[in-house]
Amino acid sequence: MSRVIEVPEVLDHVGFEALVATLAELPDEQGLRLLFNAKHVRWVSPYGIIGLLAAAQVSRQRTGLSPRIEAPDSREVRSYLERMDFWPAAHRVFDIEAGVARSHGTSDALLEITSIRSHHDVHAVVERVRERSASILENQLHYPKPSVIQFSVMLSEVCQNIIEHADGEGWVCAQTYNYRRRLGRDVLMLAVMDVGVGFEGSLASEHARRFGESWSAATALEAALLFGESRFRDPGRGQGLQAIRKQVAKWDGMLAIRSGDAQIALVPDWDDYPSMQRSLPSFPGAQILIVMPARTEEGR
Amino acid sequence: MSGESCPAIAVASLYQRNLVTRQTGRAVRDGIERLISDRGEAIAVVDFRDVAVIDFSCADEVVAKLVMGTEGDDSPEGPHFVLIRGVHEHHLDPVEGALRRRGLAVSAERIGGEPVLLGEVEPEAVMAWRMLSDCGRIRSDELARLMGVEPDSCDTLLCELLRRRLVRRSGDSFESLSFSASAAREVSVRGALVEEADSASDRDQAPHAGE
Repeated sequence: MSRVIEVPEVLDHVGFEALVATLAELPDEQGLRLLFNAKHVRWVSPYGIIGLLAAAQVSRQRTGLSPRIEAPDSREVRSYLERMDFWPAAHRVFDIEAGVARSHGTSDALLEITSIRSHHDVHAVVERVRERSASILENQLHYPKPSVIQFSVMLSEVCQNIIEHADGEGWVCAQTYNYRRRLGRDVLMLAVMDVGVGFEGSLASEHARRFGESWSAATALEAALLFGESRFRDPGRGQGLQAIRKQVAKWDGMLAIRSGDAQIALVPDWDDYPSMQRSLPSFPGAQILIVMPARTEEGR
Repeated sequence: MSGESCPAIAVASLYQRNLVTRQTGRAVRDGIERLISDRGEAIAVVDFRDVAVIDFSCADEVVAKLVMGTEGDDSPEGPHFVLIRGVHEHHLDPVEGALRRRGLAVSAERIGGEPVLLGEVEPEAVMAWRMLSDCGRIRSDELARLMGVEPDSCDTLLCELLRRRLVRRSGDSFESLSFSASAAREVSVRGALVEEADSASDRDQAPHAGE
């Protein structure tokens, strides 16, 4: 048996939701061969691009077979995927013929798709980003000098979330865009994903009993993001997400965390994203999106 | 003065530009603890001068848990103290955040040498600590006079600071950790703590601590 999964033309956080909804309708069937048809994709965001990897990983877990992928027709999208190092990462989750996995050319991304499997990967990411982020944060987004270090700290904490809770591989990438329609300014988008146990699973042993029947992915996300709870009793734990939340708010940014069937978001005035969504199609692990807008003249 | 004591001074220089992740923090803390173990009364001077980035998780492992291990420590080998040196502005948020989450505090020096108390301490105790830092070494009754408080309440403040290992006692006086570390004739041990992040075989192992 085989099935075709149509990848949305615009593969951003909205497109990712469509992809998740399609996956949710598929039967859990061992041996089912899936083909991700990305031929018609004409725009990809960092969240969408690693969302595609996450979706492939979940398909593989559910069917026992690595799915195949039809590469986008669009030359720009293909070039972007190559520059973002999509294919080397895709090789580990998709069934791809050896020749398809191309190496990237010169990239203007802040951070190409990087797999996070151990704390050594976090060190590598922080080191790489620290060198590149200075010009992007200061010159393009007009952030003050200390923001380079603050961004490194945030990146480190958000990647550690994968190691601490995912119990498996995750991905991170970051890129600047001009968010014309929504904001009329440049933004930095940082996306981090894994398909591990998720917040509900991670926090359950320590907190589920206290919440009783109301325990869910949504309450787990609230407990972690708003109240700094973690799966440990240790009060020193859980401060990473708290620090990220405060820093994103200070930068007037947007933070959204999807896990299980819920998504919680810290929403700035310039966005109309819902602050909490429940009963979404379930997807394992955690998917984090951070959007940091360029500072305006008044904000500087 | 009678009963003056001289603590062992262990200087731990962190030659790790990026102090990130809990694993790294644990390894660095283990290295520091090894430097002061079996040395009787000792001050671990942790030099942050070369640390470019420290995240909250690593600050919790390196600073907060190190301090936690010394507070109220009544081990027979003598009390252990922690003094953080070379604190830059960008270290403050993660280190203070980690300490406050646990209700802890640590004596520190900014990059220029200015003493600073990081973490959670009662305002009156902060005042006593600052005045003691200015003097370097002083008797409780003298500090009470300077602060304009009753000797008993000053003594209570100093004993609390001592319990929290933010000052040390030497004979009939109290000393700031900066004073004790600077006044020591020699450094007992030096450790260059570098985690070999590139080696696949050393994952989660402790860093080097060399004398």
